[in-house]
Amino acid sequence: MEMLGIWIAAFLTLAIYSFLYKDNPFYKFAEHLLVGLSVGFLIVIAYMDTVVPKVIDPLFVRMKLLAIIPVALGLLMFARFSKKHAWLSRPALALYIGFGAGASIPANMQSYILAQIKATASLFAQITSFGMALDAVIILLGLITVLIYFYFSKKHEGIFGGIAKVGIYFLMIFFGATFGFTVMARVSLLIGRTAFLLRDWLHIMN
Amino acid sequence: MNEPTWGEADMSIWEKISIVDRRIIFVLIFLGVALPLIFNFTLPNAITDEVRNTYDYINNLSEGSVLLFSFDHDAATLPEMEPMTKALLHHAFTKHFKVIGMALRAEGATIGNKAFQTMGAKFGLIEGEDYVFLGYRPEVTSAVLGIGENIARVYPKDFRGIPLEQIPLMQKVKNYRDIGLVLSVSDDDTPVYWINYANARYQAAVVPAITAVMATTFYPFLQEKQIIGMVPGLKGAAEYEQLIEKPGDASTGMSAQSIAHLIIVLFVILGNIGYFMLRRQKGIS
Repeated sequence: MEMLGIWIAAFLTLAIYSFLYKDNPFYKFAEHLLVGLSVGFLIVIAYMDTVVPKVIDPLFVRMKLLAIIPVALGLLMFARFSKKHAWLSRPALALYIGFGAGASIPANMQSYILAQIKATASLFAQITSFGMALDAVIILLGLITVLIYFYFSKKHEGIFGGIAKVGIYFLMIFFGATFGFTVMARVSLLIGRTAFLLRDWLHIMN
Repeated sequence: MNEPTWGEADMSIWEKISIVDRRIIFVLIFLGVALPLIFNFTLPNAITDEVRNTYDYINNLSEGSVLLFSFDHDAATLPEMEPMTKALLHHAFTKHFKVIGMALRAEGATIGNKAFQTMGAKFGLIEGEDYVFLGYRPEVTSAVLGIGENIARVYPKDFRGIPLEQIPLMQKVKNYRDIGLVLSVSDDDTPVYWINYANARYQAAVVPAITAVMATTFYPFLQEKQIIGMVPGLKGAAEYEQLIEKPGDASTGMSAQSIAHLIIVLFVILGNIGYFMLRRQKGIS
């Protein structure tokens, strides 16, 4: 049975990679199979791990009738499928958006802005070596020039434009680093499938 | 006008490079990956501070500490996530820590459960006493915030359907105060939720174990010390395997990774030289 699984997985791996040569029926078959399986899997998991513990268990096993409020609000979301009754989903949606905004705005403010400002401001206080001093200068320079690049209320010309241009170079370095990491991630996936084919399927790798 | 083809006699080397068939590059990358795996040669892999900090933090946790692993990824990124999961779980179980697993992505539930069962069996551990897997919860924000109040309200039962009050390990774990470290094994920005809510609001220690694609997103958090460290991509996993002295799939894959990178860099350099040479030939300044 395990051998059958390996052969099926090997066939599907090769079918997907065959797209690199050109689009073909094997690739389409594997792609459609993946989409179907993913959706089916998601439905089962959503039912078992969400509907059962959050709806069926509290309402019909533990008889916690208060659970009917979130369940009803959740069901109202489905009203959006009907143009005539879509307005019924608004209270649930409003609650959801209100909770989302209330929870995320202070949290994002703290993590993305306040904590980052604090870290940048305290960089020079932590310097113990030349390397750290250089790091601090580069980070501060990057922060200021990139912020200036994204300041659009003044035309980017003269000294201001020059500083903004330095900001572009910092952004380019960031994009390069991100692209490098992306290549690394994609190659890692290829390594995983290649190792599977060579080790588990063809047995030519230890 | 017809597109130029590779074999045309009057074509310069730079013109040939500029229209090289992408399938040739695919074959070379495949060979660059496959040959190091077949011949099993290794290249040195330096350990970065972010991975070492993660290792040191786990290593210095007090006896009996509880670690929370959140499987926030899909099957598509398994080749990157599985080696780091194995290495981190290996370290946690070697140190006799208790481990709780959960998932904020649907596919993460079965992936995480399988990892726990496999590693638990390997170490001869008892489910419910040494480790427990709680399963999947949608709505990341409310799940992460809910654990800060009471984990049993987010997960009334574990993945097997056993109520939490009947699980020995869960008797002493109520919220983040009882958890030594949260590890988000993720292929997207889900660790940001752990940082925003578990760390910023409940001061939980957080480490993202992430795909390489996501690494640049988390370096600012590292600089600000909102995260203890991080384990980025296959390289991070290989470093962790090195630290726990247990070379595995990531260590094997790193030589293939390096060769593939060299081929890509070579083509990027050749492509750029070709581009500028062609411009020069055409008289474009």
